[in-house]
Amino acid sequence: MAWVTWRQHRLQAYAGAALLAALAVAALVTELPIRAAYHSDPLSACLPPSTRTGCDLIVAHFRGEFTARLDALRYLIVLPALVGLLVGAPLVAREYERGTHRLAWSQGVTRGRWLLTKTALLTAATALAGLALAGLATWWRQPFDNLDGRISPRAFDVEGIVVPAYAVAALAFGVLAGVALRRTLPAMSLAVGLFFAARLGVEKLLRPHYLAPAHRTVAGIGPTAPTRDWVLSNSLVDAAGRTISTAREDAAIVHAQHAGIDPQSYLATLGWHRAVTFQPAGRFWTFQAIEAGIFLVLAAAAVLLALRLVRRAPA
Amino acid sequence: MMSPLATEELGKRFRRGWALRECTLTVPEQAIVGLAGPNGAGKSTLLELAVGMLAATEGSLSVLGRDPRRDPAALADVGYVPQGAPLYRSFSVAETLELARRTNARWDRELAHELLASLDSSRRVSALSAGERARLSLALAFGKRPALLLLDEPFAQLDPLAGRDFLRLLMDGVSETGSTVVIASHVVADIERVCDHIVLLSEGRVRLEGNVEELLASHLLLTGARRPLGTIRGVEEIVRERHSGRQSTLLVRTRGGVVDPTWSVDGIELEELLLAYMAPERLPRPVAPEPGRLRWHG
Repeated sequence: MAWVTWRQHRLQAYAGAALLAALAVAALVTELPIRAAYHSDPLSACLPPSTRTGCDLIVAHFRGEFTARLDALRYLIVLPALVGLLVGAPLVAREYERGTHRLAWSQGVTRGRWLLTKTALLTAATALAGLALAGLATWWRQPFDNLDGRISPRAFDVEGIVVPAYAVAALAFGVLAGVALRRTLPAMSLAVGLFFAARLGVEKLLRPHYLAPAHRTVAGIGPTAPTRDWVLSNSLVDAAGRTISTAREDAAIVHAQHAGIDPQSYLATLGWHRAVTFQPAGRFWTFQAIEAGIFLVLAAAAVLLALRLVRRAPA
Repeated sequence: MMSPLATEELGKRFRRGWALRECTLTVPEQAIVGLAGPNGAGKSTLLELAVGMLAATEGSLSVLGRDPRRDPAALADVGYVPQGAPLYRSFSVAETLELARRTNARWDRELAHELLASLDSSRRVSALSAGERARLSLALAFGKRPALLLLDEPFAQLDPLAGRDFLRLLMDGVSETGSTVVIASHVVADIERVCDHIVLLSEGRVRLEGNVEELLASHLLLTGARRPLGTIRGVEEIVRERHSGRQSTLLVRTRGGVVDPTWSVDGIELEELLLAYMAPERLPRPVAPEPGRLRWHG
């Protein structure tokens, strides 16, 4: 079966390797100026994150200079979905479409083993590619991670062990969709839908609560200093800890303006301050392990379901 | 010995209705079985049940003594050429054979190559003619040295010449492996030269089953003057009656021949016999022309 899998998927393997190579070249080219700026004297004097006056400006300049590249890197989150789309969905659906499942499943290998072997081999390849991609992104983002930490979604989504887990889950969703729908195009749509539903659902609903978030109050009411943590909420509260709506804050500022006092100090005299809820930067690997675990469990469930369907289904 | 393929009250229902019902048959060992019947008679369904692609709705089925759904290992001894002889179009001939070698515990490379004979193994499947594809499919199936070989409409895409080549190849393979063969085909002429056993399906039911020679010996065509039909000596059953003018032609089943000098007795060809059993039970009797309504034309 290994030979069969390789023969049927070698083009995809070559394409995947070529894509990774192209990404590596692009990463190298775009990273060089970032590293040069990062190691420039003004910035390195401000590292590790320093509170010296002016450093916030220098860091902001550095970040601002490379905003476009940082935004481009975000698109890496769609790559795992492509695996489900292009490798997973056609795996069984195309056999059904072309009638070749009758050929494949009437040989000496039972269809359950046929599906399991192919899925296992492709999962291994997918995981390797995912690790390579994550390694590349981690290397590329290293200067920014030193400044901003890695636990907020921008870094978390493209680094570490969640990337191969996402890709493996996408593959499994694709296989399941192909088995269930038996048509390549509808299976592709379903696979992508499932993947992004799982991905968004987990990121927005579950990830903030993997561990109970930490809280911190910041004296002063201005925008808080940059942090390496993942800030979940940052709101103005009164002395009793009740959240103050923006409308109320605005009204207070207008009041201060009319009275001719500095709004900042006026709000401070009211006893108002900022309450920050956040996940500490140090929890990165714990969170990675939890999230990777969730997606691997989803992937395993999808494969088991696909296996059940294939064994039972009339062909 | 176990029958290579036996069914007992086998039935399969799809959403649109029963494709096969109350099918009971036993395929004798080393027989070449023609599975005949019009399109939609349930031939493919029966074969797909036999290779475990489908699960039976009712009844039971045994392939080489085992249930192919419960015990997929039974399929190691079953060769199957599905309808349309599907192959991977991007594979070369050699790769297709390699696929079979890698996915079958028993693989007779010599035999497969021998059956492919002159076919260039570096050619792509997509570049092969329908006849060559059929031959490759057959070589794949024979390479397993199957005890039972199931062919689903193998002639559908073949011209008569390729069809004859295919049959020759089939017989060559059978002489090597001693396989029992079931050939499903809706064209009786394609299979009558090789079958020694017939199973006729129509509308999902078995209409006729038996050894070809015995079937031909036990069916006779009687021709004689039209008359009310009583019992005819030696006739067990009138399968089909046709009346034209003053003459009647009867297809009858008999044991030991018909002794009635008022009928002239002829043998029947297999194709006609099968067509008679395929058709509705009794053809409607022609209605006598109504008197007084004759008109001159021209």
